[in-house]
Amino acid sequence: MTPQTRKNQITSAKKVIPYLMAGDPDLDVTKALLLEASKAGVWAVELGIPFSDPTADGPVIQKAAIRALSDRTSLSSVLSFLGTIPCSERPPVFIMTYFNLFLSLTIEEFVREAKRVGGIAGAVIPDLSFEDSKEVRKAFKASGLALVPFISPTTSLPRIKKILATADGFIYFVSLLGTTGKALTLSSTMEERVRDLCLRTKLPVCVGFGIQTPEMAQKILEFSDGVIVGSRLVQEENDPVKWGSLLRQFCEVARASAPSRHQ
Amino acid sequence: MKNRKQVSESARLPDHSGYFGEFGGRFVSETLMEALYELEESFKKAWSDRSFQKEYQNVLTEFVGRPSPLTFAEGLTRHAGGARIYLKREDLNHTGAHKINNAVGQALLAKRMGKMRLIAETGAGQHGVATATVAAKYGFDCEIFMGSEDARRQSLNVFRMNLLGAKVIEVDGGTKTLKDAISEALRDWAQSVLTTHCVMGTAFGPHPFPLMVRSFQSIIGREARQQIMKKEGRLPDALVACVGGGSNSLGLFHHFIGDESVRMYGIEAGGRSLSPGDHAARFQGGRVGVLQGSKTFVLQNPDGQILRTHSVSAGLDYSAVGPELAYYFETGRVHFDMVGDEEALQAFDTLSRLEGIIPALESSHAIAYGIRLAREMGQGKTLIINLSGRGDKDVLEVARLRGGVLS
Ligand SMILES: Cc1ncc(COP(=O)(O)O)c(C=O)c1O
Repeated sequence: MTPQTRKNQITSAKKVIPYLMAGDPDLDVTKALLLEASKAGVWAVELGIPFSDPTADGPVIQKAAIRALSDRTSLSSVLSFLGTIPCSERPPVFIMTYFNLFLSLTIEEFVREAKRVGGIAGAVIPDLSFEDSKEVRKAFKASGLALVPFISPTTSLPRIKKILATADGFIYFVSLLGTTGKALTLSSTMEERVRDLCLRTKLPVCVGFGIQTPEMAQKILEFSDGVIVGSRLVQEENDPVKWGSLLRQFCEVARASAPSRHQ
Repeated sequence: MKNRKQVSESARLPDHSGYFGEFGGRFVSETLMEALYELEESFKKAWSDRSFQKEYQNVLTEFVGRPSPLTFAEGLTRHAGGARIYLKREDLNHTGAHKINNAVGQALLAKRMGKMRLIAETGAGQHGVATATVAAKYGFDCEIFMGSEDARRQSLNVFRMNLLGAKVIEVDGGTKTLKDAISEALRDWAQSVLTTHCVMGTAFGPHPFPLMVRSFQSIIGREARQQIMKKEGRLPDALVACVGGGSNSLGLFHHFIGDESVRMYGIEAGGRSLSPGDHAARFQGGRVGVLQGSKTFVLQNPDGQILRTHSVSAGLDYSAVGPELAYYFETGRVHFDMVGDEEALQAFDTLSRLEGIIPALESSHAIAYGIRLAREMGQGKTLIINLSGRGDKDVLEVARLRGGVLS
């Protein structure tokens, strides 16, 4: 199932979204990882584009970015690279990176390229706040791309309502205060907040940051629609086989979970 | 300047989304957004609150040692052979630079907001020392992030921060300078935002920091305006300040922005050369981008990766510049130019020998340009150079550069 078809479903399987760093250590490996992800049956992948100054990322992803940058990976090189893999052979992609890289292209160029390449569902831009994203949201919406919004433990209810009103793709619920890669401990407050969010939106609510094990994913999937697994998988990126088998464990847990209910 | 209307409008910027024209904004992770709103509201309330103003002014007088003098630089004026040169003496402030004006303001604000802990980034170490100082005075826990390359260049300031009870965290990521220290401070803040205030040291970062830092630094220009009127009976013809992120320059400029006759010069670090990575002249080699919370001029490669920078002075060694200055660049209100390492080091000597004042290497860039400008302007004109800090912190590094060994 892809993000595009999800809206027509009454119930839907729980989702796994692996985050991977494009170009770590090179794009051949990235291609192997995308094929593994496709075989594992993920809902989508978040494809990170390395940025020199990743303020929302912890050490694991910072180091992956440095490795990827030494291969001169850029937003436009990754888009061209995706264009060389048939859409049917790769999962839907959300491009994830910092806003400055989109400015090196202009948003219009990005949208045009994304359409040409195909199979790109949207983007996740951690430093593009709701307030500053109006134009990007408009340009994305006009061409069927989703700008995925974040909701964090500090987001107030009035703000949640504002964000949900224009949300698209899925809701990225940030599980903890801090950066990617920090170990998460589950709490009842998080569960309540996610359950509450699920009642307020038709979009899938996916939880990310700090999910280290399939067991933890299983617990989170009891009250959410999906999990985003980042740093834990990025640690295995140099070995696509190992990466694939770890990812499959997350996907099996998701398949064994009761499906999400959405109208 | 295009017209009078624009001038008076500038004084009211940023708009309520935190923009100066197209520059500024709040480009940070969602986790920090509510904290930025809380900070903006607290700042605006405090800034218009008489008792806060009174407390702030009182600390500036009793602890910082303000007002700082506006010294007529007789030797330097003679040396340049043109306009009369005045120095705004931020070097005489407690802790040795303008940075303390802002650190005091933000500490008082953090106290009001009930925060327990201060964190800050630092390049030259002056802002780190200033923050550690106010943390000691008001009983905050304090951690300072500093690039490991800067920590090496400014080892004296690292020691000072430790003496003041702050913990200095050396940042080894990226270029090991100010930019990486800011990233690390933002990462810490995302985790500690409920109990911690992040004391941004320059007029940069997400709204409301550029507004807040400018406001706390605007005391420089407010005093300078009164002082020059008293000494010369008229406004100065030009103002010169070095530009790292923009706090000492905006601090001097703010109360003169509406005075069309006053020309303003912001001096960036020209470093070794204008090749990418060899300088920090954002307005010469940069283009509009988004870095660390703000849309502004950024030194970056065609892919959008942030470039390394170089300057002999750690405090100017940064890839982006405050959004308000980007706006004044676009409107032409401030003229930007640069001074390289060599010329700055010469000015460091010149001021030491002619005035008996050892300037910070950052300020030496403004001094060097001020000498050129005074010569160009000619006699009968007056010029104020912001002497943003003293050079004690730089003495070891200058000795090292010249092959003398001090330790
Ligand atoms: C003495 C001194 N002057 C100038 C600067 C540059 O910063 P800004 O542009 O914010 O004044 C610094 C920064 O550390 C400094 O220490």
